[in-house]
Amino acid sequence: MPRDITTAVLANTGLGHGNWLLEFGAPEMAESMRPAQFFMIGIPGAATLLRRPYSVCGLPGTFDDRPAGALQVLYKAVGRGTGLLASLAPGAQITVLGPLGNGFTPPDDPETVPLFVAGGIGSAPFPALTSTLAAGSPRPRMIYGARSAGDLVLADWFAERTEFEATTEDGSAGTTGRVTGPLERMLDEEQQRKLKIYACGPEPMLEAVGKLAVAREVECELSMEAHMACGFGVCLGCVVPVRRAGDGVGYDRVCLEGPVMDAKCVAW
Amino acid sequence: MVTPDLSMRLGDLELRNPVLTASGTFGYGLEFEPYLKLDELAGFVTKGLSPQPREGNPPPRIVETPAGMLNTIGLQNIGVDAFIHDKLPLLRERDTQVIANVFGENIDGYVEVCSKLDQVEGVAAIELNVSCPNTEEGGMIFGNDPGALATVTAAAREATRLPLIVKLSPNVTDIRVTARAAVEGGADILSLVNTFVGMQVDIERRRPVLKKVCGGLSGPAIRPLAVWMTWQVSQSVDVPLIGMGGISCAADALEFILAGASAVQVGTANFVHPDGSIRVLRELRQWLADRDIATLAELVGAGHPA
Repeated sequence: MPRDITTAVLANTGLGHGNWLLEFGAPEMAESMRPAQFFMIGIPGAATLLRRPYSVCGLPGTFDDRPAGALQVLYKAVGRGTGLLASLAPGAQITVLGPLGNGFTPPDDPETVPLFVAGGIGSAPFPALTSTLAAGSPRPRMIYGARSAGDLVLADWFAERTEFEATTEDGSAGTTGRVTGPLERMLDEEQQRKLKIYACGPEPMLEAVGKLAVAREVECELSMEAHMACGFGVCLGCVVPVRRAGDGVGYDRVCLEGPVMDAKCVAW
Repeated sequence: MVTPDLSMRLGDLELRNPVLTASGTFGYGLEFEPYLKLDELAGFVTKGLSPQPREGNPPPRIVETPAGMLNTIGLQNIGVDAFIHDKLPLLRERDTQVIANVFGENIDGYVEVCSKLDQVEGVAAIELNVSCPNTEEGGMIFGNDPGALATVTAAAREATRLPLIVKLSPNVTDIRVTARAAVEGGADILSLVNTFVGMQVDIERRRPVLKKVCGGLSGPAIRPLAVWMTWQVSQSVDVPLIGMGGISCAADALEFILAGASAVQVGTANFVHPDGSIRVLRELRQWLADRDIATLAELVGAGHPA
C-alpha cells in the first residue's frame, strides 16, 4: 500500500556530470519496495507544482553501510524538478509518495541469467535489482550505454557485481556506439543458457532492445518512463500504446500497469 | 469555539460540506481509497463518462507549466455501462455523493448516458461536460455556442430527473452569455470553469510538446481567471454555482465561495497530493472555527458589495 510521507534528506551526493544519489529515510516503504518501483518526490514550497517520478536505486542492503530504513534514488539534474532536488542539503524536507508501480519480476527459473541493459540515468533501478536477486542465481550480465564515460554512473559498482560491458557514443569508454551491437553479440554467445533481459533507459533504446528481444524470443522486461502528474493512476497522462487481445491497440499507464512492461506488449 | 456548519444546499443537491473533486482528477473515486476516506468528502465528480469506452489521445498527454499543467487526455474512460456495472455497486457502499460527469459526441450520446444514469441507484447528480478542449468530436462546440449549449442542456434535462449541473468553458468571450444559455436550457447548477486552452513548444525539437498540439491548462495559474468568472456569473444567473480552478487550500476555496460559489471542486491538487481535497476541507473547517464563523453558507457571495 503506497504512503504519502514527509521525510528528511539524509544525503544528496554529487556523482559528477550532473548525476546525484539522494538518500532519505522511509522505513515502511523500505520493507515492501521492489526494484523498478518508484516514488513521486516533491519539495514543499518549491516553484514546481507537480512531483516527479524517481525509480528506487538502493533498497536496504543494496549499498554498504547505509542507515537502517534509508532508500536511495539516482537521478540526473536536467530540468527544473531535478535541478531543485540537486540543490537540497541533508535535513531538507521532501514529500515522498510510494511505493508506486509494479516493479521487475525475478526470473522464474533459478538457472536464468539476468541480462541488464541500461542507458544513461536508466541505470537507476539496477543496483536494487542486483541486490535482490536470489542467492545462488547466476552472475548477471550488464550492458551499460551512455553518451560518454562520465555518464556511466556507478560503473565501478556494477563492474564488481556483474559481467559488465560499457558502450559510449563518443568512444570515451567501452565499445563505441550503442547498446544494441553488444546486446546482439551477447544473445549470440548465450545460446546455451536461458536469459531474461531487464532494460531501462531512453525510449529509443527501450524500443530497440524490446524489438530485438521479441525477435530473438528472449524474455524481456522494460522499465518505461513518461511524464506523469500523479503517479497513482488517475491523471492518465503517462500512457504508452500497448497491444490488446486480437489486433487492438490501447493505452496502459506507466505508473500503474507499469513502469515495467513485457516487451511483447508494447506497441511501438 | 464553535463547530462550524459546512453544509450547503444547491437546490436538490445537499452537501455536508462544500468540497468536491473535479472530473478527470479523481478517477472513479475508488482509486483514492488508499489515501483518504471517501466518506469524509461531500462528494466527487467522476471521470467523464461516454456512451462507449474511449482510449483517449496519443501521448505525450501532459506537461507542467508555470503554476499549472496542460493536459490532453482526450476523455479516456471506461464508458457508462462499465461504470454502472463495475464501479457504482462499490460506490453505493460509500457515504458520499457521486456526481457523474457526462460526455457525448453528439446530443444523442449525452441523452443516452444521462438516461442510463437516471435509471440506477447511487448517482446524486449529473455534470454535463460541454467544455472539454481535447476532443475533436464536440464537447467544446456545445460549450462555446449559446444556442447549441441550451439545446444539449434541454435534451439532457429531458433525459434525467437528477440535479443537472452544466460545466462551463472559460474559452469564450463572455461567460455570462453561456451561463444564461445553460440555465435557459434547464441547468439546476453551474460549475465553472473547465480548463483554458493553451500550448507549450519544445524549442529544441521545434514542435509542440503535446502530441495533439494544444491542451487544457489547470492549476493555480488559472485561479484568478476562474474566480473572476465565478464572480461575473454569480451576478448573471440565479442558480447555485460550483467554483473550481487551482484550488489547493482553504483560502483558495474561500475566494470562490466569497465570489458566489456554494461549493468548490479540487482538481489538479489531487495529483500533487492524493488527499489534497481532504486537506482543503480540514483547513476550511479550521479557518471557520478560528474565526467563530458558525455557518459557511453565510459566506456564499459575501464578497459582493451590498
